[in-house]
Amino acid sequence: MHDNVIDKSKDITMLELLDRVLTKGVILSGDIVISVADIDLVYVGVKLLLSSVETMEQLKSGKPIIV
Amino acid sequence: MEKMIYSILSVSKNSEKLNALLVGMKGISGTDLKAISFDGITAVVSDVKRADLITDRSNATEYAAVIENLAQQFTVLPMRYGSIMESAELINKMLERNYHEFQQNLQKVENKNEFGLKIFCDSEKLKSELRIKSEADTQTPEKPATKIKNSVYKDYVDKKLKEHRLEELMLTYVDSVIAKITGYLDRLNTINKFKKMATDTNIINAVFLLDKERKDALIHVTEDLKNQYPALNFVLTGPWPPYNFVEIAIK
Amino acid sequence: MSDNKILFNSGSLEKFSEEIGKLTNNEESRLKLGPDNADSGLAKLVLTLVELIRKLVEKQAMRRVDGGSLTEDEIERLGETLMKLELKMEELKKHFNLSDRDLNINLGPLGNLM
Repeated sequence: MHDNVIDKSKDITMLELLDRVLTKGVILSGDIVISVADIDLVYVGVKLLLSSVETMEQLKSGKPIIV
Repeated sequence: MEKMIYSILSVSKNSEKLNALLVGMKGISGTDLKAISFDGITAVVSDVKRADLITDRSNATEYAAVIENLAQQFTVLPMRYGSIMESAELINKMLERNYHEFQQNLQKVENKNEFGLKIFCDSEKLKSELRIKSEADTQTPEKPATKIKNSVYKDYVDKKLKEHRLEELMLTYVDSVIAKITGYLDRLNTINKFKKMATDTNIINAVFLLDKERKDALIHVTEDLKNQYPALNFVLTGPWPPYNFVEIAIK
Repeated sequence: MSDNKILFNSGSLEKFSEEIGKLTNNEESRLKLGPDNADSGLAKLVLTLVELIRKLVEKQAMRRVDGGSLTEDEIERLGETLMKLELKMEELKKHFNLSDRDLNINLGPLGNLM
């Protein structure tokens, strides 16, 4: 019973932590921030997604990764 | 080699202390941490391969842990996960270009921590209470949008109008709670940020910046709030590095 | 790093955990990235913007209706347009297999954004 409380506390702490480190803090790509509701989050997410997809394609093809 | 930036610190006289600390820590995927400085403003970085960013929870957590450790000993401006620049030189130039903004923000958060307060309600209950109270107050039953029946479009408008009015009532209520919180926090010299109604049940999502020493006072305030609003539920978390209070448009 | 940052809570931690999970769901969609969801990444962005505009329009429309300055005809046409917009949006969401959660739909009281 007590364990469950500890687990849930950890869960909540983790959620709060990840929310901060993934969606807050100083960002380098200031020029693409659209500050309406959470839209900037989605946009940055897409940017990271596009890099990852690119890299994954390169990884898959066995070509050297261009950085 | 690309570099991941964890945070920006002010280190004018403490560079040995920082270097000693960095030696004992690791970055994402066990990389070494290094300091890149410009005139007392320092970026803590590690080498990173873009492939490492195909990301999992543990990378982001490791990243956050580095920031947390640094925050124990220094005033930090946390960077968002994924902050990468191509080289140490470019980072140095970035520090120079944004020197003034970094200084200002470091001053703002010096000796302070961030705390988060989330407030939840029972949405249906609250809405019906508000609706009842509102009808009692105005003493007239709610006007429907139109007089003419038998139109699916007008029914739609009526439905949307009811929702709209309820939202307005909720908003007024939420604003009153925020006013109360602001009042209670007055003597703690805080900077407050509020987000309203992120979901149906999360009516307030607040973050506060205040002196580290005032943590217990903040807990007391939260207890008082709970007594004031027994039907609401409160979760206070912290202390956190000031993720929500760093406002810089990096040039 | 401390595992537990909770300083005060009043209520079921289980429920809180669930609620906060809903709030911070973005973490899931960002962390599980791959070639399969390149499409929906873009669709998500576009549909979020469209939905934001739709909700703003709806909000403004309701204010006008509540204000009592519209004719019966105008109300009828407004209702038709808004309803069709909403249905279209549902179609698009279904097509791209995106939920309200995925689109960060809970934009809160839009009055403040304007």
